[in-house]
Amino acid sequence: MVTREDVENIALLSKLFVPEEELDALTKDMQEIIDFADTINNASVDEECFDNINNLSNVLREDEVVKSYPSEEILKNAPEQAEQHFLVRNRE
Amino acid sequence: MGTIAKIHELLETKQISCEELTKQYLDEINKANGELNAYVLVTDKQALETAKAVDKKIADGEKIGMLEGVPMTLKDNLSTKEIETTCCSKILKGYKPIYDATVWEILKSQNAVLLGKTNMDEFAMGSSCETSCFGGATNPHNTKHCSGGSSGGVASAVGGNIAAYGLGSDTGGSIRQPASFCGIVGLKPTYGTVSRYGLIAYASSLDQIGPITKSVEDASIVYDVISQYDPKDSTSQGKKGPNTFDTLNNDIKGMKIGIPKEYFEGVRDDVKEAIFASLKIFEDMGAQIVHFDLPAVKYALPVYYIIACAEASSNLGRYDGIRYGYKTAHYNGTHDMVCRTRSEGFGEEVKRRILLGTYVLSAGYYDAYYKKAQNLRGTIVSAFNKAFECCDVILAPTVPMTAFEMGHAVSDPIETYLTDICTVPVNIAGLPGVSVPCGFNAKGMPIGMQFIGKKFGEAQILNAAYKYQQAAGENFKDTKWGVKL
Repeated sequence: MVTREDVENIALLSKLFVPEEELDALTKDMQEIIDFADTINNASVDEECFDNINNLSNVLREDEVVKSYPSEEILKNAPEQAEQHFLVRNRE
Repeated sequence: MGTIAKIHELLETKQISCEELTKQYLDEINKANGELNAYVLVTDKQALETAKAVDKKIADGEKIGMLEGVPMTLKDNLSTKEIETTCCSKILKGYKPIYDATVWEILKSQNAVLLGKTNMDEFAMGSSCETSCFGGATNPHNTKHCSGGSSGGVASAVGGNIAAYGLGSDTGGSIRQPASFCGIVGLKPTYGTVSRYGLIAYASSLDQIGPITKSVEDASIVYDVISQYDPKDSTSQGKKGPNTFDTLNNDIKGMKIGIPKEYFEGVRDDVKEAIFASLKIFEDMGAQIVHFDLPAVKYALPVYYIIACAEASSNLGRYDGIRYGYKTAHYNGTHDMVCRTRSEGFGEEVKRRILLGTYVLSAGYYDAYYKKAQNLRGTIVSAFNKAFECCDVILAPTVPMTAFEMGHAVSDPIETYLTDICTVPVNIAGLPGVSVPCGFNAKGMPIGMQFIGKKFGEAQILNAAYKYQQAAGENFKDTKWGVKL
């Protein structure tokens, strides 16, 4: 059972604001989706075959300095910047 | 019908210059895009520059490659250096990547003519292209219907002849479903064959880039070029074996084509009939039809939504208003800034999937949902492995229906999720799948079917699909739009 409090809690974890007037509708939507997801609980799993479906292994490289992007390039897309750094927020 | 091979021939034999051709495409985009809404950005200047370079090469008597000078498009989640890449989300408006996606780097080096970036569901989350912040792309066969999604813009552009081909991405069917809806070909390659570097992530263990084209031959040509090992993608493996193009026309006598019963449950009659009609064509070519059960796929859809949303909730954590994209105008402290930025920047469906993903990963629910889904993922992989012991390729519907009307998908999330029921198993198991047109329903809307192969079995599914098109015709219907060649 998905409650309003559940939705408020996961919204906080997701760093999203859900306006009070949308909370009921969203709780209902989430309940429907979770009911649908619950169908997997009827399935029996024979073996523990957790993850690595795509046969991946770690890819490592030599610990050498390689060419990267100049900071001016990277900062071009920053909404706000100050003194060659990303500006997270203005001081109050 | 403006295939790659046809355009290559026209350019090589100097029947048309690349500049002339590119201008034709740009003119047609101008005329059609108001209604199709396929392009969200037209890169005319760059397209014409490349076209001129190709013309110079031809004038100098140099040989040109198959994709050289062919006008094409990229889904707007593929990074293009200095060219706005938005994922059709408000949160990335104005973002200009400082590097190219590997697939675009490869095509650019071959002088592919980029006409522009195409429409998609926001962050590739949707099945009708309508979650795009630019509004959805429409279907070139009937603009009251949607293009499908999430790579709806590419499919609408290729189906509407305002691009020769395009690249999309497929996480749960986003290449194959819109290709099916728009009456064209869409190939989702084996996980790892095409580099995902520069593809803006939705669900990294499922995402794969692939071509959307007018014919199976074109899909093979593009796939052979883009399937290269890339050290910048740690999951990259490249293609195994020779080019798929070399074996397209191989005899399929004795090939075992598997028909899984579960894929046809709940599929509309017009779709079923079109696919069953194709079986006769295969039998006439000497292929063997094998009917079998694949019960594990009935859990594929909930498994997909749990895994995809879990990965998305993590991947989309990067949109915080600090490094790129949208930032809220007024805020009170860092937490408030991040929350406002994300709440104002993301659309409804994206928020819904982030919330669902956070829910299934949160303490108390992780074992019941995420871990169980991952275990079932393993079960589905085993089921496919077993299926391929009795057949060489699997044939199934791409979508249980034809393109629905605009506005239909938005009303009910679960009903919309159900349209992905035939496409998601391939992503879960990391297999290749190609959707091919197999007819039209009474209302003139295209029907598609998909061939599913073993891992790295692209050559086999493209061979089967090509032979089908040779025998049955391409089932391609020119629409009123676009360049006529």
